[in-house]
Amino acid sequence: MELNLKGLGKKDMEFFEEIPKERKKIIHSSSSSAILTKFNSNELASILHPKVQHVSVIDIIEENDSTKTFVLAPNAEKNTKKLAYFRPGQYISVEVEIDGCIYHRPYTISCSPKNVFDNLYTITIKRKRNGIVSNFFLDEVKVGDHFSISAPMGNFYYEPLRDANNVIALVGGSGITPILSMAEAIKDGILDFKLTILYGARTKKDLLFHKELDELAKKSNLINVEYILSEEQKEGYLSGFITKEMIDKYRENETSFFVCGPINMYEYVNDLLKDYQLPNKYIRHDAFFGRVDISKNEDYELTILTAEKKVTIVCHSKETLLNTMEKNSVLIQSRCQVGNCGFCRSKLKSGMIRTIDGCLRKADEKNKYIHPCISFPESDIVIELPY
Amino acid sequence: MENKFDCIIIGAGNAGLVAALELAKNNKSVLLLEKGKTPGGVSSSFKRGRFEFDTSLHLLELMGTKQQPGELYHLFQKLGIMDTIEFSTLSDSLHVYEIEEDKEYKLPFGIIEFMDKMEEYVPGSYDALKKFFVLAEESKEALIYIEKNRENIDKEYLQKNFPDFLKVSTHSLDKVLDSINLPKKAQEILSTYWVYFGSPAGKLSFVHFAIFVFNFIAHGSELPVINSYEISTNLAEEILNLGGKIKYLSTAKEILFKDRKIAGVMLENGEIYESKHIIANLSPTNVYGSLVPIQMVPKEALKLTNSRVLGARGFSIFLGLNQSAKDLGLTDYSYYILRNLDSNKEYQYRQSIKNDSCVAYVLNNVNPNCSEKGTTILEISSFFTDDVFSKNATEKNYFDLKSIIAANMIDAFERATKISIKPYIEEIEIASPVTYARYTGHPDGVLYGYKATGMDNLLPRLLSLKEENFIKNLRFCGSFDVKLSGSSATYLSGDLTAKLTLEDMMEEGNEEWN
Repeated sequence: MELNLKGLGKKDMEFFEEIPKERKKIIHSSSSSAILTKFNSNELASILHPKVQHVSVIDIIEENDSTKTFVLAPNAEKNTKKLAYFRPGQYISVEVEIDGCIYHRPYTISCSPKNVFDNLYTITIKRKRNGIVSNFFLDEVKVGDHFSISAPMGNFYYEPLRDANNVIALVGGSGITPILSMAEAIKDGILDFKLTILYGARTKKDLLFHKELDELAKKSNLINVEYILSEEQKEGYLSGFITKEMIDKYRENETSFFVCGPINMYEYVNDLLKDYQLPNKYIRHDAFFGRVDISKNEDYELTILTAEKKVTIVCHSKETLLNTMEKNSVLIQSRCQVGNCGFCRSKLKSGMIRTIDGCLRKADEKNKYIHPCISFPESDIVIELPY
Repeated sequence: MENKFDCIIIGAGNAGLVAALELAKNNKSVLLLEKGKTPGGVSSSFKRGRFEFDTSLHLLELMGTKQQPGELYHLFQKLGIMDTIEFSTLSDSLHVYEIEEDKEYKLPFGIIEFMDKMEEYVPGSYDALKKFFVLAEESKEALIYIEKNRENIDKEYLQKNFPDFLKVSTHSLDKVLDSINLPKKAQEILSTYWVYFGSPAGKLSFVHFAIFVFNFIAHGSELPVINSYEISTNLAEEILNLGGKIKYLSTAKEILFKDRKIAGVMLENGEIYESKHIIANLSPTNVYGSLVPIQMVPKEALKLTNSRVLGARGFSIFLGLNQSAKDLGLTDYSYYILRNLDSNKEYQYRQSIKNDSCVAYVLNNVNPNCSEKGTTILEISSFFTDDVFSKNATEKNYFDLKSIIAANMIDAFERATKISIKPYIEEIEIASPVTYARYTGHPDGVLYGYKATGMDNLLPRLLSLKEENFIKNLRFCGSFDVKLSGSSATYLSGDLTAKLTLEDMMEEGNEEWN
């Protein structure tokens, strides 16, 4: 039975047949000029998150005998006209070719976002024992060298909707870089919160950016710095390790702790902060490589499948699958190298690995995907790369 | 790798995945190209701290249950992923706050229950609502008939079986609700669902809206227990299991032609893959504007694309809270916080950067184990009706602007519900139209495809499907295509487009035979 629809009737029924014609009329009367393909959101997305940035080294500053700062500027010849803006605490991933092998390594941007408008980033690299890439940077890289780097990435940054207005940064050694960037941004008026930096190192000469930090503390009343030396007694410096007394001096009712440094320090600081019974949200960590205990010392076979080919190489129980692939010139994409970003996500076709828990998405875990950057082999392995 | 395929699918969104899998199931060799690093497009997830957030899925209508399977259930079963995914059922259908009137309405699932409750709020609405649901069901059946028989629709059959559908088929929501004498306030409450379409009652197609509401209220809605990324990965796994190829981090640069016929795809890195059939799970704006060489774009395709208007731009806030939903006092799954229930007014508000209307979803109230005990995942979702966000955003103010808008929406939520959430934010991520532009490549980061109004609505698109297949063997699917936007719609869109491509292949086979 038909319904009684006020004002709608036979005419409307007949119009049904006209629909395609009506649509055609509208299409017909519209312009046949070229389609608009530039949109504000997409333009801004490509400025903030470029696929790749080409940079040149324009200056190298020796910070101490094992650390150098590299000043990077856009390489206009390769069509990078400006650098992407970033949030203090973020990193870029650098791609380098060493002896025919391609490596990617994440380095925190240590300058202020304001420097982007002067066309520069700075990254600070410390020599690591047996670190192929860090040694290459410290020994080989010269002013004028070119690299491609990723867009700024990472989630270790100050977020006003989440973090307290009072922040205490607990910093060890070269972990200072993200905090330096935040302090610079506070000085430049880009960030607005109270920042106390408790900066621990072994000796005075291991403290990076000492002068810059002092300068920042002088210029901004939002910034405080205390230095703690564990292997040296010096006037004007605290000695030993970070203690609760040092923290209490700067702690307020609501305080966020930003922790960055080597893994031993994370473990030490976590123990220290336990007494405060803080909710998780008040303790934020820079991305770091979690502890993986490996007792085995053995070689295995690693077979890599891509859409095009199959390669078998030797891998070792104490080396990540990603590092093994890099060294054997198997091209694999990666960014963060600590199991967070998912760029190296690959399928484990067979074999056993040891990895850091909690890094995978639930569905990836169910479908046997792994992050090779944090995976150590425990048997012969077959993995499939996603391209 | 063999570089020749029966079909190349560009884009591993919901529709691209379904289309690729469907073809693989039909023994076609397929190559699925995806510019991102994972499958699913907006049906994805990301981790922050101890939380994993679903990037987009709030409800899956048309899913149904084993006892009462819906269209989507059948599709997932056919595709072989139904047994691998567990679903849960939503409990409440609508809980809306109207800020300017200081009013609150809460309606249940089930047509009778829904009508009873509405009658309580707006006396005199029962009979008209009954008409609404009759019309909605008739529209649903009519659409199924039209989709099935779109090549030769029997007018007499339509007139005999779906006379009322024909009367309302080209009208807007408010016009039809007027014609059934639904009281104004009931119209407004019912129209709250307009937020899933992005067009207000004066512009929204009655048919499109009514079918959605009918499916949603009559049959309820489901959510995967893990998240939409599980659906995406399981579809991708099935494609691989059937011998299909998927290449991630692979951006299509150009659609190649040979003798004016589709011949393949070239990637940004210069790699070339050959195929006589292409399915594009991306917008015609991108395809005709950037991928197809300009001399190969038919004039009518240019005109059609230029005649269309981009739909709503999404804005989402993902919150990991360090208290349980119960302790916070969050009892429902969804909270609609609208300034005004008059959708035409509300639409205007959403043209402003100050827009703070939103819908908040408490995932734990559907999937209690979606986050650790003592925590809650709360997603606040909204949209702007035009490009106001990108007009206001600059490189320098971008992160601050996101935080300001997010703070406005969180405030609006707290004020309306009188529930405090800010002190409990352990993790937060904010997605803007720029974020969606970055991950999807959609023009201006739109989430809802082209604006579905007037002659660019569901029915006109469906009835013109054949005529608008401008380049032979190049098919579209996804939120910009005939079935419009929404998770369920895009999965079903992939299914429809796979069918069309199989027909194209058959036709080609016949031509060669002749």
